[in-house]
Amino acid sequence: MASVIQIILNGLVLGGVFLIVAIGLNIIYGLNRVMNLAHGSLYALGAYFGYTLVTGKVLLFGLDFEFGGLNFFLALILAPALVGLVGWVLERVLIEPMRDRPMIYTLILTYGLMFLIDGLIKANWGDTPHYIIPPEFLQKPVYIGDFSYPAYRFALLVGVAVVMGLLMTLLNRTRMGINMRAAADIPEMVSALGVNLKAVRVGAFVLGCVMAGIAGFLVGPLYPILPIMGHDMLISSFVVIVIGGLGSLRGVIVAALLVGFVQALAEAVITNFAMVIVYMLMAVILVFKPYGILGEGKFE
Amino acid sequence: MEPIISTKDLMRTFGGVTALNLVSLDIYDKQLRSIIGPNGAGKTTLINVITGKLGASGGEVFYRGQPITNYSVHKRVRMGICRTFQINSIFMGLTVYENIRIATQLHLGGSGRVFARRTSLKKVNQEAESIVDRLNLNEVAYQSVENLAYGDQRLVEVGIALACDPKVLLLDEPTAGMSPKETRHIARLIQELAKEVAVVLVEHDVELVMTISDRLTVLHQGGIIAEGPPQEISNNCDVKDAYLGSTKWAPLLETD
Amino acid sequence: MSNRTNQAPGSLLRRWSGAHPLSLGGFVLVVAGMVVLPLVVTNPFYQNLWTRILIFGLLAMSLDVLLGFTGLLSFMHNSYLGLAAYAAGLFTINVNPESLWLAMLVGVVFTMIIAWPVGWLQVRTGGLAFALLTMAFGMMYYTVAWKWHDVTGGDDGLVAAIEHGLPKVAEEGMVPYLDINLGPWNLGNTSDPVHVYYLVLFIVVVAFILTHRMVNSPLGAVLEAIRENEERASFVGINVRRFKLIGWLVACGLAGLAGTLWMFLERNIAPDTMHAFEGAEVLMMVLLGGMGSLWGPFLGAGIFILLKDCLSSATEHWEIYVGLVVIFLVLFLPKGVAGLSSMLRRKPSENK
Repeated sequence: MASVIQIILNGLVLGGVFLIVAIGLNIIYGLNRVMNLAHGSLYALGAYFGYTLVTGKVLLFGLDFEFGGLNFFLALILAPALVGLVGWVLERVLIEPMRDRPMIYTLILTYGLMFLIDGLIKANWGDTPHYIIPPEFLQKPVYIGDFSYPAYRFALLVGVAVVMGLLMTLLNRTRMGINMRAAADIPEMVSALGVNLKAVRVGAFVLGCVMAGIAGFLVGPLYPILPIMGHDMLISSFVVIVIGGLGSLRGVIVAALLVGFVQALAEAVITNFAMVIVYMLMAVILVFKPYGILGEGKFE
Repeated sequence: MEPIISTKDLMRTFGGVTALNLVSLDIYDKQLRSIIGPNGAGKTTLINVITGKLGASGGEVFYRGQPITNYSVHKRVRMGICRTFQINSIFMGLTVYENIRIATQLHLGGSGRVFARRTSLKKVNQEAESIVDRLNLNEVAYQSVENLAYGDQRLVEVGIALACDPKVLLLDEPTAGMSPKETRHIARLIQELAKEVAVVLVEHDVELVMTISDRLTVLHQGGIIAEGPPQEISNNCDVKDAYLGSTKWAPLLETD
Repeated sequence: MSNRTNQAPGSLLRRWSGAHPLSLGGFVLVVAGMVVLPLVVTNPFYQNLWTRILIFGLLAMSLDVLLGFTGLLSFMHNSYLGLAAYAAGLFTINVNPESLWLAMLVGVVFTMIIAWPVGWLQVRTGGLAFALLTMAFGMMYYTVAWKWHDVTGGDDGLVAAIEHGLPKVAEEGMVPYLDINLGPWNLGNTSDPVHVYYLVLFIVVVAFILTHRMVNSPLGAVLEAIRENEERASFVGINVRRFKLIGWLVACGLAGLAGTLWMFLERNIAPDTMHAFEGAEVLMMVLLGGMGSLWGPFLGAGIFILLKDCLSSATEHWEIYVGLVVIFLVLFLPKGVAGLSSMLRRKPSENK
């Protein structure tokens, strides 16, 4: 049985990952008005691209070669960038053309996209689990008195903090970020000021995908990388968004931590039905508190 | 005479904003009451709270003396409180006839008939046809409303409210976006209706409001600043203060 | 002026059914074709395939009632097929291996018992939230079916439960065959694929006719109003929640019916059938065939299942094709095949 501290730390780790994924999803919903059901698959892509980059084994529909593998931290930057590239293509080809159609169609579209990406992942990398090996210095456990905890997990928490810091800088200090925030609230005003709304939308979608990719890569060294890893993450990130309330940053943080802890607890105590508890929480919130736990969001 | 709708110290807040502030008014049967005021005065919010689309943060709403403050929208509609929206809210994918028909069906009954055919509800269908006729929409009756001209769509909006057999009809800017000819048509219709039921009209068209209303209620920043017959209101200083500088209300100021 | 469907004299049959002569004739033709089918298709594998088409057609049609007529999207409507199949199967194994009709009743009732409170919760929301809730509950059902292997047999389905020594073990270790009895007459047995086919065909045709009547009834008009504009629907006096629940229950009931038929056909049910992926397949069938047409989903089921059979060599990477087809449909053919046909049939004066 895991100790209490372990559960708390695990909860933080899970919460951190959920936070990044959920924010990505939130950004896409806020600016592209799309509930991106393929988000989990993009998260998985982050892990798979990471695997390919780190191990150097490229197996891409015919291309089959090895290139020695990249430094872990280099891959940490490249893998999400690649996912962002995929996101860019998706936005231009699929999302933007669907902008004027009722939301239900785009919802079904991203649902199909999810299967497409999952299928491509399975076809390319196969069903067998893959692993990303973290750098040497992070492979050892960290000792605090009697208690030990994997170093990588601590590093992940640091990574999450860095990502959030970068994100806040982007949204508050850069032109693009400020435009994004304004466009989320008052698009007409923003476009009247001469800002290229289309560029903002593309940027938002790509940013959201990059977030998913980062999370996927960070999780790579923690668990075996499997084609269905996106599914559970998708559901969990929806739960986080629903609980936190769409559009509420503070809400998402609270919710991510909450869901992270619940899942860590459930995994330690009732392994089999861990996810059921998460689903039930989501259902309850959806029905009884549609504005999220802090009441700041807006769910339509 | 007992008011058909009355509100008592009605309040509605959104976060920190007070949209309705201690609004108390009485609406009487067979009377045309117009609610006017600058943008943001709370006119639509008032309609929303009276019809049940929004809840009240304080105060009460009464229908024929009965407190209905917590009643659901559909329950109020069943009682006879019907409305139109500022932005058309109709059944886009259905025909004009079907739009009206569903309202008459709900009013006259029959929704529980699971295996009957719609054509078997004779009274419902006849009633729908007569309303379509009254609105002069016969030519487009079987066309999908999404293909209609905006003015006709507005008529359908009014038609749906009519089909609910209202005792109180609340119209939120019905003439918005209409041509003068269409406006006259609607105005005539509204006046006719005011002889049969209580009509509450929210409008920006000053001339229209002055011409057809029995009484005016003026809202400003969520509160009532004046109430009375049109002539009185046009002479009212508070009202003029509220609209100082507003060209739309210039005619109002000129009648001094 | 009289309502359009009352106009023009017509045969007694047409006036009774209220259907356009072309569609009534088409319907009769198709049913006749389906009746004759087993005489032409003698390979039991394909007889099974066509029976599956009918069953999934029924499931897809039930989703159409929910989506095409009431306007509510469900990502995992197959859950309710699964629930009924499990209930019917467990009933047959543990309680009564004799009565087919009882098993059918138990399956449908069980599904409704679950669907009612879940639906009650779900109709408090709409649109996206509703769809997400169906996913949440669907995954809950799936997880239970998968993890509660003592009762459900886990991964391999009821077959495994049987192996683990539950009371009535039948031949071949599957759910027992059942006699198809109508009163004192024995019409057949589920061991014969042709008998099963006709049983399914009969039930599906009756279900279709009843559902068709329902969506064209005053109740159907209410559901359509909710689909078109929920807010306005409440503003004409419709208790939107109550009627959404009615639409939901009808859809789940029909799905449950399909589930019991599935049990008679396959004599096993595994959690796979209740997974999100299969839920997407059903949605695809509705899209492919055409939302809101009621018959379109059958066409969609047929095309989908036959296509899957043809491309069986590619089944390994099936997700890719499902994904591509869904994307294609949403982008270019949102109204499905039925949409194509109604576009062709529409007279010029009605076009925009």
